[in-house]
Amino acid sequence: MSSGGEKSGSGGGGGGGGGGGGGAVKTPSDFLKSIRGRPVVVKLNSGVDYRGILACLDGYMNIAMEQTEEYVNGQLKNKYGDAFIRGNNVLYISTSKRTLTDGL
Amino acid sequence: MSQNNPSQLLPSELIDRCIGSKIWVIMKGDKELVGTLCGFDVYVNMVLEDVTEYEYTAEGRRITKLDQILLNGNNIAILVPGGSPPDVA
Repeated sequence: MSSGGEKSGSGGGGGGGGGGGGGAVKTPSDFLKSIRGRPVVVKLNSGVDYRGILACLDGYMNIAMEQTEEYVNGQLKNKYGDAFIRGNNVLYISTSKRTLTDGL
Repeated sequence: MSQNNPSQLLPSELIDRCIGSKIWVIMKGDKELVGTLCGFDVYVNMVLEDVTEYEYTAEGRRITKLDQILLNGNNIAILVPGGSPPDVA
């Protein structure tokens, strides 16, 4: 069960090139290791954004966040002290520095 | 076998050659991203840097700039090496 969670961890070599571990290459598993405890933006497939401190995450992209703010269409709708997001809903996890502009 | 034949290139090898350079990601649905590829795994989950996200909605195009992201491979449709901006396409 727990071994299945390392889906991005297995990717490096098996991906036919994702890994290599050399130089500037940063695989998904490297990214997951590097962002724990950092402020992040998580976007779901539905388009809803969650901003907060990343407490914990795994290879399924299941995420536990603290001080979570829920943004729908860029507007703050809700706040949660602790939130768990099931990984199948996650579109991306981003480090927090970000700007928003509306084109057109 | 295919490794010995230079004329044969696996899809994953093609993406591997894009690491460190710009790539254009077209998602299922009305979303595209352009950024620098840092790495990927067997599911083609991707780590991208200096990302611009383009969402096409009824109200128009929404652009979001992102520092570094882990993009879920689940909704990726097409990858284009070189990262041509969606305005041109």
